[in-house]
Amino acid sequence: MISLAGRDIMHDWGKFVFTGVGLGLLIGVTLSMAGIYRGMVDDGKALLDNSRADLWVVQQGTLGPYAESSSIYDDVWRGIRAMPGVEQTANVTYLTMQVHQGERDVRSMVTGVTAGDPGSSGWPPYLVAGRQITRGHYEAVVDIATGFKLGDRLKIRRNHYTVVGLTRRMVSSGGDPIVFIPLKDAQEVQFLKDNDAILQQRRRTAANPAFNRPQVPGLLEDVISSQSTNTYVNAVLVQVAAGYDTEEVAQSIRRWKRLTVYTRSQMEDILIGKLIATSARQIAMFLVILSIVSAAIVAFIIYTMTLGKIREIAVLKLIGTRNRTIAALIMQQSIALGVIGFVVGKITATLLMAPIFPKYVLLEPVDSAIGFVAVVVICILASIIAIRAALKVDPAEAIGG
Amino acid sequence: MTGKGIRIEGLKKRYGRGDTAVDALKGVDMQVAPGEVVGLVGPSGSGKSTLLKCLGAVIEPTAGRMILGDEVIYKDGWKVKDLRALRRDRIGFIFQAPYLIPFLDVTDNVALLPMLAGKPNHEARKQAIELLQSLDVEHRAKAMPSQLSGGEQQRVAIARGLVNRPPVILADEPTAPLDSERALAVIQILNEMARKFETAIIVVTHDEKIMPTFKRIYHIRDGVTYEEAGEGRGFE
Amino acid sequence: MKRFPVQKQTLAIMVVLLPLLALFIYVSLRSGPLAPIPVTVTRVENQSIAPALFGIGTVEARYSYKIGPTVAGRVKRLNVHVGDLVKAGQVLGEMDPIDLDQRIRSQEAALKRSRAQVDEALARQNYAQTQARRYEELLAARSTSEEIVTGKKHELRVAETNLDAAREESVRVRAERDALIVQRRNLLLVAPVDGLVVLRNAEPGTTLVAGQAVVELLDPQSLWINVRFDQIHAQGLNANLAARIVMRTQAAELTGRVLRVEPLADAVTEEILAKVVFEKIPDPLPAVGELVEVTVALPALAAAPVVPNAAIQRISGQLGVWQVVGDDLHFTPVILGAADLDGHIQIREGLKAGDQVVVYSAKALTLRSRIDVVEQIPGVPR
Repeated sequence: MISLAGRDIMHDWGKFVFTGVGLGLLIGVTLSMAGIYRGMVDDGKALLDNSRADLWVVQQGTLGPYAESSSIYDDVWRGIRAMPGVEQTANVTYLTMQVHQGERDVRSMVTGVTAGDPGSSGWPPYLVAGRQITRGHYEAVVDIATGFKLGDRLKIRRNHYTVVGLTRRMVSSGGDPIVFIPLKDAQEVQFLKDNDAILQQRRRTAANPAFNRPQVPGLLEDVISSQSTNTYVNAVLVQVAAGYDTEEVAQSIRRWKRLTVYTRSQMEDILIGKLIATSARQIAMFLVILSIVSAAIVAFIIYTMTLGKIREIAVLKLIGTRNRTIAALIMQQSIALGVIGFVVGKITATLLMAPIFPKYVLLEPVDSAIGFVAVVVICILASIIAIRAALKVDPAEAIGG
Repeated sequence: MTGKGIRIEGLKKRYGRGDTAVDALKGVDMQVAPGEVVGLVGPSGSGKSTLLKCLGAVIEPTAGRMILGDEVIYKDGWKVKDLRALRRDRIGFIFQAPYLIPFLDVTDNVALLPMLAGKPNHEARKQAIELLQSLDVEHRAKAMPSQLSGGEQQRVAIARGLVNRPPVILADEPTAPLDSERALAVIQILNEMARKFETAIIVVTHDEKIMPTFKRIYHIRDGVTYEEAGEGRGFE
Repeated sequence: MKRFPVQKQTLAIMVVLLPLLALFIYVSLRSGPLAPIPVTVTRVENQSIAPALFGIGTVEARYSYKIGPTVAGRVKRLNVHVGDLVKAGQVLGEMDPIDLDQRIRSQEAALKRSRAQVDEALARQNYAQTQARRYEELLAARSTSEEIVTGKKHELRVAETNLDAAREESVRVRAERDALIVQRRNLLLVAPVDGLVVLRNAEPGTTLVAGQAVVELLDPQSLWINVRFDQIHAQGLNANLAARIVMRTQAAELTGRVLRVEPLADAVTEEILAKVVFEKIPDPLPAVGELVEVTVALPALAAAPVVPNAAIQRISGQLGVWQVVGDDLHFTPVILGAADLDGHIQIREGLKAGDQVVVYSAKALTLRSRIDVVEQIPGVPR
C-alpha cells in the first residue's frame, strides 16, 4: 500500500509547504511567547544569581531592594560582618535611570558596587570584554544590551564615566541592562541632586536663621556640606560561610540587627511572585489565546484541504477504499502540516524573533518538546472534524445524477 | 464466491416514507451473462441512476433479488457483510468522467485497487501495467493524470475499472465526452476486455454513436425495464 | 524499489526540505541551553606590573587666612577685590572707627590736662620744698616754731604725693590714649603675608560681629591637593611617591608628589587621606575646590604570572580562575598578588606561565559546562 497522504503532499507540495510556513510563523509566535515568559523569569533569576549573594539585608519592613525602595546606613555592614556564619558582606545600591552617551540615553539600572576586588558580591561575576573596575571613581562596566562599547564616555548625573568592561545578561528584573559603577559614585548619583536643586537647597538653608548665625561662623557651611553627603545604601549582600545554615544566619541577623533579611528562595518568590506576576499572567493569557487560534487555524486549513478533495474521496470510497484509509490520509496530512509548521516555527522563533525582541527570549528544549506534542495533538484533533466530514460523503455522488 | 454474470429480479427502490414516498424502481429484471456488453438506456428521472447505484451496491434496494454469479448478494437486505470489499473486488466502475486521483500517477491510479485488496505493491503495479498495455496507454505509465489527453484518461479509467478482474463492470456514459471515433474505440475495448476476462458489462448511455454496437439493450422507463434486441454491429 | 514519478520534483522538494531540516537541527543543538558556551582564553605570562593608586581630591590652600575685625563694627572701605595679589603688610581695608577718633581726641585732651595738672603739682611741690627749707633754716635760727616747721614739712610731703598722683594720672591717661590708638590701628585690615584675595565677604557699610571674616586670603604657592584613597586600595601609599594629576580645567596632565599621608583617616567613608603637592603650580592658578584625579605610581614589581582581572571568579566562596587543560575545564583556586590600574593581577600561588585561563565567557561557567573557545564572544560590539 502506498501512502496516499504522502502522494497528495508531494503532488501539491508547494502549496503544502507554503501553508506549513504560514502555520509555522503562528507557531513561532506562540513559542516566542513562551520564551518571553521564561525570559522574564530568567531575568529575575539572573539578577539574583549575578549578585552572588546568599542573603539580602534590607530596610526593616520593606520588600527591597528590587521590589521596593530600601535605605540603610552604609556602615550597617560592619555589624553584620562580625556575626558568626558571615563570610563576606558588600554594600550595594540600585537606581533605575537614564544613562547618557553622546546624543542618546539608555534606560539602565545603575548599580553601585563596593570598593574591592573581583569576586566581591555585587560585582559582575563574568565579563565578555574589557576588564573589571580598578579605580575607585569614574569607571563603569556595562551590559552589552545598553549598546555601549568599550571606551565610551557615559554621563550619569554630572560625572563622566569611562566604559572599561562589558557584560552579558546582567539585567534588572524588569529587563533593563545594568551599569556597574563604584559605590561612592553611585551613592552620589542616588542621593545628590542636580545643580539647580542643590542651589535651591543652599538658598533655603541660608535663609533659615537657625542655620545662618553670624555669631557662629562656619555653621552654615557645615550644615550645607552635611546636606550634600550621603550615607545610605539600598542593601547589604551577604555571603554565608561554608558549613552554616543560611536560614539560621538570616534569623540571627533579623533578631539582633532588626533588619529585614531575605534568602535566595525568598527573593525569588518576591521577584517572580510579585514583580513579574502581572506580566506573567498577561503572557500566559496570550499563550492560551495563541494556542486556541493556532488550533482553530489548523482545523480550518485541514478542513478546507479536505473539502477540496471531496470528489476524490467520493471516488475512493466508491471504488472500495476503507474508511480507515481515508481517515489516515487526512490525519497524516494534518500531522505532516503540523510537523512542518513546528519546524518552521522553531527556526523562526530562534533565529528571527529571539534576537530582535527587545526583551530576553529564552527558548528551552522542554518548551519545544511540549510545543511539538501540543502541535501534533492539535493537528490530530483538528483533523477529526475534517475526517467526520469526509466519512459522511456519499460515494453515490461520484455517480452522476 | 467468484461466479460471473449478474442477475436482478424484481428490484424495487422506494425513497422516503408515507405520503411523500417515491418509487424510483418498481420491479426491475435484468441479466447479463459473462462476456456480454449490454446497454442501459433511459431518460433522466427514469430510475437509471438509482438502478446503477443499486447495481453498484452503493444504495440499498427496498425489495427484490440481486445475484452475482452464484451468490445472492441481496435478498430483502444485503446478504454480503462487506459492501466495500464487494465494490472493490467484484464490481468495477467506469464513470462519465475519468475521475482519476490527481495526485497519483497513471500506474498508481490503476494499481491502487489491487493494493487496497492487499496485494504487494510491485505485484499490483505489474498487474496495472499489463492492463495499461492492453489499452495501449502503457507509454504514459509514469505521467500524472493532468498531463494526459481526455481519451488517454478515459482509457486509464477503464483500466482501473478492469484491474481487479471484477465479474461485473458498470459503465456510466463512458463515451459522452468523446467523438465518434474515440467512442467506438472505447466500446471496442470494452468488448475485448469483456471477452478476454469474461466480464459482464452494463453500459448506461444515450450516445447514438455506440447504440448500434450492442447486441442487447435494456430500456428503463418509470422504474421498469424492457429488453430490446440491438443491432450488435461490428465496428467500422 | 519504487522510483519517484518525477525526479525533478523530488529534487526540488529535497532542496527545500533538507536545508530546513538542517537548520532545525542546527537551531536545536547550537542555540539555547543545549549549546556550548563561547569563551575566550589567554596564556598566563610572567610580567612585571606597575601598580598604581587612584584617588580623587580637591585643590585646597595649605595656608589661608580670614581677615576680619576683632570687635563688632562696620566696614568702612575695602581696597582689594577678589583675584588681587597683595603683599605682606598691605592694607586691605578698614573698619569704620565710629566714635573712636573722637574718643582719642578726648583722651588726648585729657592727657594734656593731666600734664597741666602734673605741672601744677610740680609747681606746688617746688614751692612747698622751698618753704620747708626756709622754715628749717628759720628754725635753726630760732625764728619760728617747730610746729610751723612741721606744718611746712607736712605740706611738702602732701605736695610730693600730689605730684606723684598727678604723674601717675598722666601715665594712666596716656595709656588709655595709646590703647585707643592701637584699637584705631586695628581697624585697618592688613594682609599678614603675600597672597591672593579669594573672598570679599562683606561690602562697605555692612555690620559684622567679632570674628567674621571680611576678606579671605590664601597663599597661592601653598596650593595642594587633598586626596582620598579607598582604604582597600591604598596599600603602599607613602610620602614622596610620584603622582600624576589630572584636573578638569587643564588639558595636560601635571606632575606632583605625595607630601604626606594623613595620620587621621576618614572612618565614615573608609578612605585614607593624603596631601599631594604640585611640582609646579600651574598657571593660571587652579581654583580651590576643583576636583582632580590623582594617580600615584608605586614601584614596579618583579615579574610574576599575570592574568587579566576579568578572569578572576569566586566560586563557592573561593577565589580562583577557570583553567583550560586540554579540552577540560578546571577551577583553580589562586592567591592574588598586586594589581595595576589596567586590570592586570599578579598571581602569587596557583598558576604558572603558560597555563591557559578563561578570560571572557558568554554565560556563567560551572564544572559541567561545555565550552567552545572563540576569538571574540559573539554579540560584543567592536
